[in-house]
Amino acid sequence: MMTLAETGLQYPVLAHFLTTGAILFALGMIGFLTRRNLIIVFLCTEMMFQGVVVTLVGLSKYHMNVTGQTFVIFVLTIAACEAALALGLVVLMFRRKRTLDSLSWSQLSG
Amino acid sequence: MIDIMTTLMTLAQAAPEAAKATNVITEHLGNLIPELILLTGGVLCLMTGLGREEGTRKATAWIAGASLLLAIIFIPNIHTITKGFYTKEILDMSGFIKLAACSIGFLLLLVSAAVPDLLPQTKEAEKASKFDPGNIFRGEYFAFFLFSLVGLMLTAGAKDLIWLFLALELTSLPTYVMVASARKNIAAQEAGVKYFFLGALSAAIFLYGFALIYGATGHTDLTEIKNVIAAQNLANGELSGMLITGLVLTILGFCFKIAAFPMHYYAADVYQGASSAVTAFLAFVPKAAGFAALIIILSTVGWIYGPEKNHLPEILEILLWVIAVASMFLGNVLGMIQKSVKRALAYSSVAHSGYMVIGLLVGIPAVASDSAIGNGIAAIIFYLFAYGLASVGSFGILACVRNEKGEEVDSYDEIAGLFKNHKVIAAILALSVFSLLGMPPLMGFLGKIYIFGSAFQAGFIWLVIIAVINSAISGAYYLRIANAAFFGKPAEGITATNTPGRLTGAFIGAVATLVLGFTGGFLVDTASHAAEKPPVLRDDESKDKAAAFDINLEPQAALNKDIYAQ
Repeated sequence: MMTLAETGLQYPVLAHFLTTGAILFALGMIGFLTRRNLIIVFLCTEMMFQGVVVTLVGLSKYHMNVTGQTFVIFVLTIAACEAALALGLVVLMFRRKRTLDSLSWSQLSG
Repeated sequence: MIDIMTTLMTLAQAAPEAAKATNVITEHLGNLIPELILLTGGVLCLMTGLGREEGTRKATAWIAGASLLLAIIFIPNIHTITKGFYTKEILDMSGFIKLAACSIGFLLLLVSAAVPDLLPQTKEAEKASKFDPGNIFRGEYFAFFLFSLVGLMLTAGAKDLIWLFLALELTSLPTYVMVASARKNIAAQEAGVKYFFLGALSAAIFLYGFALIYGATGHTDLTEIKNVIAAQNLANGELSGMLITGLVLTILGFCFKIAAFPMHYYAADVYQGASSAVTAFLAFVPKAAGFAALIIILSTVGWIYGPEKNHLPEILEILLWVIAVASMFLGNVLGMIQKSVKRALAYSSVAHSGYMVIGLLVGIPAVASDSAIGNGIAAIIFYLFAYGLASVGSFGILACVRNEKGEEVDSYDEIAGLFKNHKVIAAILALSVFSLLGMPPLMGFLGKIYIFGSAFQAGFIWLVIIAVINSAISGAYYLRIANAAFFGKPAEGITATNTPGRLTGAFIGAVATLVLGFTGGFLVDTASHAAEKPPVLRDDESKDKAAAFDINLEPQAALNKDIYAQ
């Protein structure tokens, strides 16, 4: 049984932040491509944004400047705007179709 | 360790720079006057759109138009730009794109001014004895229209990654609403939902790219990024993996905005589902913003690699090559097999992005050549202008014509024989699609010559051959549209809408492609001056630029003296 210090996980280094960010981003992307419920799909894009946020904060700490963290605040603002839009569109869709399945939108094709 | 040292040194230098910061802010604000005018106009539209009197509400479109015209007047150095049409003045890319955004934006406004009026819920709300603000969205439509244009203009002037991100989102977010609400049918809402979700995905992808670029360089300021990239390239002889990954993700994310392979699949659905007036908007504004952003991001790397020092880094070059070729073939081949005119034009939009990506590969030659042809970036911004005018003409006409159910025409059968009853409309449509095709006297031809010629000079022979083949393929569906409109059997119940604005906008767009096809030389000159230097300069490069400006300001100062002497 290794102690925490031996695993090297005692102090989070840049690689940990980047890996966490990349995993969040990848999970979000996979979810976006496989899920069909529009709310879940939207939350997956949010997860991708959060992956970016973790990456930015880690890099900001690494570079010892606050630009990355400033960026994060703006990213969160835009994510909030997109959430508002997404919920509006989801409500619109539910009123018209009574379902949130993304495959029910298939009028346009060809 | 070196990074830490540089950071500390930057911090040490920061104190005297704080004094400079105020000047920088004033300078920035001075450049942003047209954007501020449009933003103010947008907010005014939001208020008047809900006015108590009908006259106030109807004035909303006029306010939007007036603010666009006012913005053109206040574009920085507009005197230099208008003079630059004939003299060799230096101006920058953002000035050219702002001019294009405002002037084509005005045509787009003419085309879409009637969108809120034609909605059934607006008609009901206007007829009701007591005005119900919940059912009317005139204010929102014009405000979002202006906000999106502001986003495009801010993108063109971006100097920082954060700014670029916010500007691109400002371009996109209003368009999602415009698509979903400008037409009262379920197809428009489907298009809106699709557009929004894929847009959010692309935003996340290019944002991750931005984060990695920041990680590789430690800055979000584009000038600093360019400095660091140049220094890293000098030290290591190659670019770091993180930077390359970041750039690749950024380019892939931007492909959504320009509707290019591999993010092109939304284009047909969204362009078809949206109201035709909004489609005209989608075909120009996000695409221009995407190309402006691509030019800015690529110019941080610069076209200084390869054996002859005039190429992008190899990985980016391969990526852009694939994007260009795949977009051209997919766009033109899929466009050919469509039954809907709007879908065909949507795929043609994908193909046009492919042509323009060739210009990105060519880039800005290190030594400016004497001939106008040779600068890929100049070719792109000129082509955007040509494409914008032609797409205003073609989609504007589709917005003008209704079928017997009162819906916008979409299929080839419905536009068949337009010439018999609506001669002007058919002529405008034909002129626009011929310009898109690149018929000789028209502006589209000039744009294609410009792009293909610069690619030929830079040695992309295969790309030029592929592009010419693709232009020939695209003839199949463009000529089919013109053929249907002129020689088809007229369909029953086709009427033109009573919207003079739409016809005027489309008419100006189509006539401009003809006139500028003959007299567009000055625009070519302006474009090549605008793109003489990349939009992002290294510190040492910008000193050269300042020197160049000093030289160029002398005649201006002399001119001023003359004026004052009188």
